[in-house]
Amino acid sequence: MGVDLVLVVEDTDEDIEAIGRAIGRSHPDTRLEFLRSGPQVLPRLRRRPLPQVVLLDLNMPGEGGLDVIKQVRAVPGLAGVRLVVFTSSESQAEAEACYAAGADSYVYKPINFALFRSVLSRTLDYWENVTQTVVPPPGDSVAQA
Amino acid sequence: MIVSIKPVRPGKTDVRIATIQQVTTDYPRHVLAGRKWTRCSRSAAGSDCAVSCRTSTIRWILAAAAGGVTGLSQVGSDWARALHRLWSAAVVIDSREQLAALVLPPLQELPGVRAVWGLRHGPDGVTAYRWRGLPLTAERRALAESLAPQAPGPARVIELRGHEFTRVVAVRFEEPGQAAGTILVAVGAAADAGFVADCLTQVIEVTQEAVRRLAVVRAEQDQQVRDALLAEASLQMDAVLDAEQTMYRVPRMAVPAIAEGCLVFIDDDGGKPVLRGAVHVDMRRLDAMLRDPAAVQLLAEPGEHRLELRTRGRVIGRLVFLFDRPPDRIPPTAFLRDLTARAALAIDNSTLYEQRRQEVIRMQQHLLPTRLPRVAGLSVAASYTVGDRVLEVGGDFYDVVVRDDGAVAALIGDVCGRGVDAAALTGMARHTLATLLQEGVSPRRALTRLNERLRLDGSWRFITVGVALLRPDRDGFAVQWTSAGHPAPVVLRTGADARRGAGGGVPVGVLDSPVFASSRLRLRAGDTLLMFTDGLTESRDGTGTMFEQAGLTTALDRLRDVPVQTLVDDLSESAQAADDIALLAVRACDGR
Repeated sequence: MGVDLVLVVEDTDEDIEAIGRAIGRSHPDTRLEFLRSGPQVLPRLRRRPLPQVVLLDLNMPGEGGLDVIKQVRAVPGLAGVRLVVFTSSESQAEAEACYAAGADSYVYKPINFALFRSVLSRTLDYWENVTQTVVPPPGDSVAQA
Repeated sequence: MIVSIKPVRPGKTDVRIATIQQVTTDYPRHVLAGRKWTRCSRSAAGSDCAVSCRTSTIRWILAAAAGGVTGLSQVGSDWARALHRLWSAAVVIDSREQLAALVLPPLQELPGVRAVWGLRHGPDGVTAYRWRGLPLTAERRALAESLAPQAPGPARVIELRGHEFTRVVAVRFEEPGQAAGTILVAVGAAADAGFVADCLTQVIEVTQEAVRRLAVVRAEQDQQVRDALLAEASLQMDAVLDAEQTMYRVPRMAVPAIAEGCLVFIDDDGGKPVLRGAVHVDMRRLDAMLRDPAAVQLLAEPGEHRLELRTRGRVIGRLVFLFDRPPDRIPPTAFLRDLTARAALAIDNSTLYEQRRQEVIRMQQHLLPTRLPRVAGLSVAASYTVGDRVLEVGGDFYDVVVRDDGAVAALIGDVCGRGVDAAALTGMARHTLATLLQEGVSPRRALTRLNERLRLDGSWRFITVGVALLRPDRDGFAVQWTSAGHPAPVVLRTGADARRGAGGGVPVGVLDSPVFASSRLRLRAGDTLLMFTDGLTESRDGTGTMFEQAGLTTALDRLRDVPVQTLVDDLSESAQAADDIALLAVRACDGR
C-alpha cells in the first residue's frame, strides 16, 4: 500500500505552499488535501477515501494538533491512519505528549527547503514501506544499524 | 533545418543541421552532447554542425524538429512528434517516479499495443512495477519477470501463446550505480513488432539519458540536503548549553532527513555507555526495540553506522544511525563522521558547561549557612537561585543569628562582581557580620567594622547590606532596619497590601566614613519581612521589563499567606533570574 493521499492540516500559507511543492516533487503520484484547522479533521476522516497519512501542524489557533491526535485516536476505525506531527518546536516534552496521545511520527520542520523536502519525502517513504505498524518483539528489529 | 542525412556506417548516420543554435534550441544540450554533434563548417548563415548517433534515434527526433522527413507514414510522423516531446520532457523531471509516467504512455499509443510494463530491478528482485494498458496483476508480474532479459541488449521480440497478446518486445537497460530497468511492450497479432522494437529502443535511449541526468540531479540535491543539515544542526546545537537538550537535538535533527533513527550513547565515569538520546521516525518501533537490554547493548557496541563521539582527544560516547532505506539512500560515511564530530563538540561543550555550573552552585552553597536557626515566635526561610547563564560564583549572602539578649539579627548582602575574589569577600563579609551581630554589636557598628576592614585592605569592591534586628514586642516584633545601599525590604501584612520599607545608605567599602540609613518597622502576628537582593527586582522578562515593575506586586499578593519557604521558593521561580537572587523571609508567628 503506497501513500496515495495525504491530509495536510496547516494554517500557514507559506507552509501550505512549501509542503505542496515538496511532496509534489518527491511524490508526484500522491494526492494532497489541505485543511486549515483542527476541528475540520475528524469530519473529513469520516468520509472516504481515507488518507494514509495526516500531516499535522501542532500550533494552530483554537484546537491544536495535540487535540486532533487525541480525537483521531479515540476512533477505532482510524487506527490505520498515520499521524505525523511536523513542527519546528524543540520541546522534548511536547514530542512525548504527542506520542502519548497516539502520534506515529514527530518530525522536525527545517527552515531550508531542500532539507524540508527531504524530511517530508523520507517520512512518506517510511510510512509507505510500513504497511502496518511493525512493532517487532524485543530484539527482533528490522532496523539496520 | 536539415541540410543532409548521410549514413556513415551500418546503424550510424550523420545529419547536417543548419546551425548550432537550432540544435541547442530544439534539444537541450545534454541530449545531443552524448551524441557527438560536431561543428563542421562556418557559413554566412552560421555554423553548420553534424549530429552522429544511432540512426534509429536521429531520424525521428530530427524529423520532428525539421517539420517532418519525407517518406514517413502518419504513424511515423505521430511517433516522431511523441519522441520529440519525450526528449524535451525527460530533462525536466525530478524523480524516477515520474519517469514511468513519461515514457510508457507514448508506447501504449502505438498501433496494436495492449500493454506497456516497466520493471525496476533491485539486488533482490523487482522493486517497482509500473504499467499502462493491461495492469500488472500478480500473475502478469510473474510473466513479466520471466520475460525480462537478464542483461542489456537490443530489443527482443518474444512469441507467446495463451495470452491476450501474441508477442512481447522487451529491453533491459542498466546505468552504473543506478537501479536497472526493463520495459516490456505486449502487442497483438496485427502489430508491427519491428516498428514497436524500434520505438522501444528509442524510448530506452531517452530513459537511460533521464536516469543519468536524475542521478546527477539527485547527487546535487543530496549534497544540498547534507550541507543544509550540517548548517542547521550546528545552529541548533550551538543555541543551547543544556546537555540534555543537546543530546535530544542531535538525533532530532538527523531524523528522518538522513536516517530513520538516531541514538546518542554517552560513556559514564566508568566507561559504560548510557543511552541519553533516541529519536526514530517511528518511535513506537524504537521503544519496542529499546525495551530489550541486549538490543541496547548491541547498539552501543562498535559497528557500521555507529560512530565514536570523539572530541578534545577523547571518546565521550557513540552516535548510532539506524537506516531503513535502500543502500543508495544512506549518506556517505564521511558526512556521518562530520555530523558526529560536530555533535561530539556540542555535547561536550554543554556537558562541561553543566559540570562547571554545578561546581558553581556547590561552591555557592558553601558560602551560605547550611541551616538557619530556629527562633521562638518566628518562621524563617531563605532561598538562593543561581542566575541562568552564570558560570562564576556570585556574591549574594544571607544569615540569621540569635543574640544572647533574645534579639534576632537577619542580614542579607550582595558583593559587587562575581568570581573567586567576590566569593572570598562574600564569605568574609557574612562571617564578620554574623559574628559581630551575634556578640551583641549593633548593626551600625558591625557594618562600620566591615567597612573599615574593606578600606584597610584597599579593596575596590563594595557590598550592599541590609540588617534587620528583631526584638519581641507585645504580640509581634519591633524591627530596626539598617541599610547600606541595599534594596528596601517588603512587609507582607495579613489582610493588607504589601508595603515597601526604606532603603538608603551607601554600600560598605565605598566611603571611609560610612553612611547608613535606619528605619523602624513592626511585624504583627502573621506579618512577614521579606529581604532580597537586586537580582529579584531587576530580573527582566522577555520584553525587557523588570520584575519589580511587572510581576513583583502580583506575585506578593498571591503568595502573602503561603508558608515562608513556599514564599521564597515561588518568588524566586517567578522571576527570570539572569543574575543570582537571594531571598530571606521572617514571619512573626501567631500566638507567641
